[in-house]
Amino acid sequence: MNWIKQQISKELWSPYAAGTLLGIVGILAVVLSNSLLGASGAFENLAGMIGKAVAPKAFDITYFNFVMPPGITWGVILLVGVFFGGMLGAATSRTLKWGKKDASNSDSQWKRIFGPQTWKRWLVGFLGAILLEYAAGIAGGCTSGLAISGGMLLVPAAFLFIAGMFASGIVTALIVYRNRY
Amino acid sequence: MNYVIALFLGLFFGFSLNKAGLTKYFKIVNQFRFTDFAVLKFMMTALVVAMIGLYGLRGLGLVKFPVVPATYIVGNLAGGLIFGVGMALTGY
Repeated sequence: MNWIKQQISKELWSPYAAGTLLGIVGILAVVLSNSLLGASGAFENLAGMIGKAVAPKAFDITYFNFVMPPGITWGVILLVGVFFGGMLGAATSRTLKWGKKDASNSDSQWKRIFGPQTWKRWLVGFLGAILLEYAAGIAGGCTSGLAISGGMLLVPAAFLFIAGMFASGIVTALIVYRNRY
Repeated sequence: MNYVIALFLGLFFGFSLNKAGLTKYFKIVNQFRFTDFAVLKFMMTALVVAMIGLYGLRGLGLVKFPVVPATYIVGNLAGGLIFGVGMALTGY
């Protein structure tokens, strides 16, 4: 019992242990509700909902009508769970910094590369996130929804996506880090 | 009921991501710099565990697979290429 408590309060698990947990979650998602663990789709569902309310004409397109129907879907609820699950993980390892100063930018490696300003972090995060969602829309999923969930069903799309993701990720890191690579 | 399952699974999903350290910028970007392989280890472990479990269960006739993401080579590759840029910048 004490051992379990100790393990749960550890900040960093072996990636193999955490990966096994995610694998089990992936199996349960298929077994219990015949769904895949997608994260990016949920944002599109929500965006569709807001868009339909604000500008129904502009959002009356095939993508939001058929590919990504708006509404509170299974994925949206999953995402709420992910949010609180991440918080729970941080809370158990006592790294949860609720509203503390610099909590949104405490990564020393980031500061070394981009500088200490918090607004830069927000800006790069925002622009990067736009790229992420746009790309996930084109590919039909993100790391979790396509690469992991598709990969575990041996879908060819997942492996194409992983190859592309790593190729450009490595190049981007090379450009950002240059001689510090 | 389905929503309760989603919430529950999401909790464990987020928990495992946090414990693997993948909620941190430097973990993701260091994968692309080949100085920290946690992302790859985490993803591949999850893949292998889920593959064995799901294909085993299907072999026993206990589950039916959901609709899988479509394969269209240009889209998947192009999406992946743009995704990687965002991933290395934000540390998602």
